[in-house]
Amino acid sequence: MINENLVSNVVTEPYKYGFVTDIETEKISKGLNEEIIRLISRKKDEPEYLLNFRLKAFKKWQKMEEPNWADLGYKKIDYQDIIYYSAPKQKEKKSSLDEVDPKLLETFDKLGIPLTEQKRLTNVAVDAVFDSVSIATTYKEQLAEHGVIFCSISEAVKEHSALIEKYLGSVVPASDNYFAALNSAVFSDGSFVYIPKGVECPMDLSSYFRINSGDSGQFERTLIIAEESSTVSYLEGCTAPMFDTNTLHAAVVELIALDNASIKYSTVQNWYAGNENGVGGIFNFVTKRGKCLGKKSKISWSQVETGSAITWKYPSCILLGEESIGEFYSVALTNNLQQADTGTKMIHIGAKTKSTIVSKGISAGKSSNSYRGLVKMGSKATGSRNYSQCDSMLIGDQASANTFPYIQSQQPNSEVEHEASTCRISEDQLFYLQSRGIEFEEAVSMMVSGFCRDVFNQLPMEFAAEADKLLALKLEGSVG
Amino acid sequence: MKIIDYITEEKINLSTNLSKIQNFCASKLRETPLPKSQSETWRISNKQKLSSLLEYQYDLNSYQPNIPSYLTSKKAIKINVGNANQFNLKENDWQIKELNTKEINFLIEEKIINNNSEPTWTNLLNHSLVSEENLLGIKISGENIPPLQIFCNSKINHFNAKTLILLIDEKTTVDLLQVNLGDKNSSLSLTTYVWLEKEASLNHGVISLGNGTSNLLNSLDVVQKIGSNYKLSTIQMQYDFARFEVNINQSEGGGHTTIRGMQVSNDNEQIGTYTKVVFNGPKGYLDQLNKSLANDKSHSIFDGSIIVPKNAQKTDAAQLSRNLLLSNTAKIDTKPQLEIIADDVKCKHGATITQLNEDELFYMRSRGLTFAEASKLQLKSYYKEIIDSIPVLEEGLELLNHLIN
Repeated sequence: MINENLVSNVVTEPYKYGFVTDIETEKISKGLNEEIIRLISRKKDEPEYLLNFRLKAFKKWQKMEEPNWADLGYKKIDYQDIIYYSAPKQKEKKSSLDEVDPKLLETFDKLGIPLTEQKRLTNVAVDAVFDSVSIATTYKEQLAEHGVIFCSISEAVKEHSALIEKYLGSVVPASDNYFAALNSAVFSDGSFVYIPKGVECPMDLSSYFRINSGDSGQFERTLIIAEESSTVSYLEGCTAPMFDTNTLHAAVVELIALDNASIKYSTVQNWYAGNENGVGGIFNFVTKRGKCLGKKSKISWSQVETGSAITWKYPSCILLGEESIGEFYSVALTNNLQQADTGTKMIHIGAKTKSTIVSKGISAGKSSNSYRGLVKMGSKATGSRNYSQCDSMLIGDQASANTFPYIQSQQPNSEVEHEASTCRISEDQLFYLQSRGIEFEEAVSMMVSGFCRDVFNQLPMEFAAEADKLLALKLEGSVG
Repeated sequence: MKIIDYITEEKINLSTNLSKIQNFCASKLRETPLPKSQSETWRISNKQKLSSLLEYQYDLNSYQPNIPSYLTSKKAIKINVGNANQFNLKENDWQIKELNTKEINFLIEEKIINNNSEPTWTNLLNHSLVSEENLLGIKISGENIPPLQIFCNSKINHFNAKTLILLIDEKTTVDLLQVNLGDKNSSLSLTTYVWLEKEASLNHGVISLGNGTSNLLNSLDVVQKIGSNYKLSTIQMQYDFARFEVNINQSEGGGHTTIRGMQVSNDNEQIGTYTKVVFNGPKGYLDQLNKSLANDKSHSIFDGSIIVPKNAQKTDAAQLSRNLLLSNTAKIDTKPQLEIIADDVKCKHGATITQLNEDELFYMRSRGLTFAEASKLQLKSYYKEIIDSIPVLEEGLELLNHLIN
């Protein structure tokens, strides 16, 4: 028998990224209107077309209603009580990292992000976004030798304007949904990646998002373009300080893969989840979508979602190109009063397209964890295949695990398979491990890790190790 | 009088005895004359077909339907909903008793008015329109009960509404086949309530056959007490618009539920099945299989949810949705859902959408069968699994041949 007291007495590891960096920031006043949008655009010295893109999105947003189909319970968000632009104060443009405020560097050091270029061994190029603004991008020169562009969106707007104009909003149009429209209107920064034809990106690219101030929302935008026969692996990490208030994070990620290109996008999301009574935490409303435009292109999403008070996120693939491939590997863990509604959309349009979905949900405490996914076979997707597998693990009898797969097919010559199961940590297995001298906590974490193995295998090395540890930490004290 | 006018023009005044329920439902219906399109279970319903259904003339009367021989059983007791004749069949060890209006009203009030959850639009429509003659309630008790057949039908160019209540007493075992027949250009609204007492057992078949242009709004609500056994086997086809809502509540857990469903859509038809199984106690069991087959330009929908709240520990539930898409222009939507809170449960679901198995077709053709024959044979096996589980039916094979051709 599991000793429930023993388990609940185990102290939960505090959220270790919950500190606030005391740094002078430049914020604009609260609220959202056309003037604010013009101001953000002016501050960023943007070209006319981008301002128009923002204003158009804002007009559409005003006419839209906040979606409620995910059945998430949260207090109504007052969109006028949010600061839409917040940036660490800097006098002039930096020429090297030495000129960046040391306090900022310290923050990223604390978070374990190898910003300083001495840490070359890690071989990961990083773009760090602090509140609304990209602070630093490492390894730029080395990447440039291969023709790879990796910089902040603001920089890309200035230096690679043609690409931005062509692709921004081409995968997630401004009118796509409520939060995407909001993001399109007020996005402040984010990362831009361009891999030229035939180039295999020499290192993993990574961006690190940090929300620092409590009253500003974060609205970043990521755009990745992989030209013909190119390959890139992109990692994304997120943390935020602990505040009693809820902070809004509404990001948009757009991926474009041309013929034979391949993009792998991995996320470890560990925004502050609120305390055990559900006070505070990040509202994570994110639109992520990839377009497999070219023949035999491939987009693979892998995510480990452990943070945020509310997660509303459906990384999707539009499989347009013939024989293109979409993949989605996800682990979502919820504890205490967290709510996660996450899944994917695989839209098969081209012929012979393939998609795989593997989703693992773990719900503990009083949390609610839902998989919501759509698989759609269009009428021209002959010979296409989909396989989905959604497994849920319940820890305790207070948490809920829901599965909502929507499957739609208009193509007889295609195959869709979906299966889902629910289980809990089996006492027999626990007993077996404990009888072999493995501590209770460790046994649980081994079993959770085993449950998630299919997904962890898809993560890049350093992420996989981190994810394993993260899950163990998050679950401590919740098994019973 | 058109249905839509009945709903919107406050002219519902069909019977005195039923007025409380009718008034209640009609006033709710007037607030939402058509189901809200945002509502998840109506989102992909064909709104045009639904509203044209409400354009039908309302028919209060009942008439004797023409029942094909392969659907009748010689041994069975036959009951036609809409015949006002009181009956009380009694033998030494069993009894089938007709409930009186007061008893019926009490039961419906419990379901519709004194219930915390909002009544469904389908039931609101039914109770607003059903007349006393088209209401049948029966209580079955005892042992060795002969098989039963209950017929409901809709008249050509008319809309008919019927309500059926079945109370199955403790430890009583019943085999029942419900046959719903739709005439040309007709609509049937049928609401069935079943109460299964402790250790009662009902083997329930529902065959709904339209005429290609008929419509059907079929709602089935089952409450199962502990130790009861409910087996539902259904076939529905040949409806321009058909909607089958099944709501099963294992009110104390510990029940045994088996569902075998099949829907076939051709031409421009839309046929949908919406099932919801709730376990309100521990140790419940569910085995569900829903098959659908979509041809031509038709649209087939399956929406099945399994709900396992905190007190439903040791639930064992499995749901499978198997779909055959036979044409380039047809469409299949399937949505199997699990909502689980209890942690010590075994729950799984699966869904597949494919076409006829090519290997099997190849095998049969290599043995000398033509493509058409081989496909037909494969379809037959697809149907047969369901038809075999329908109770009371004596001419299953004949029905199968009729359906395939």
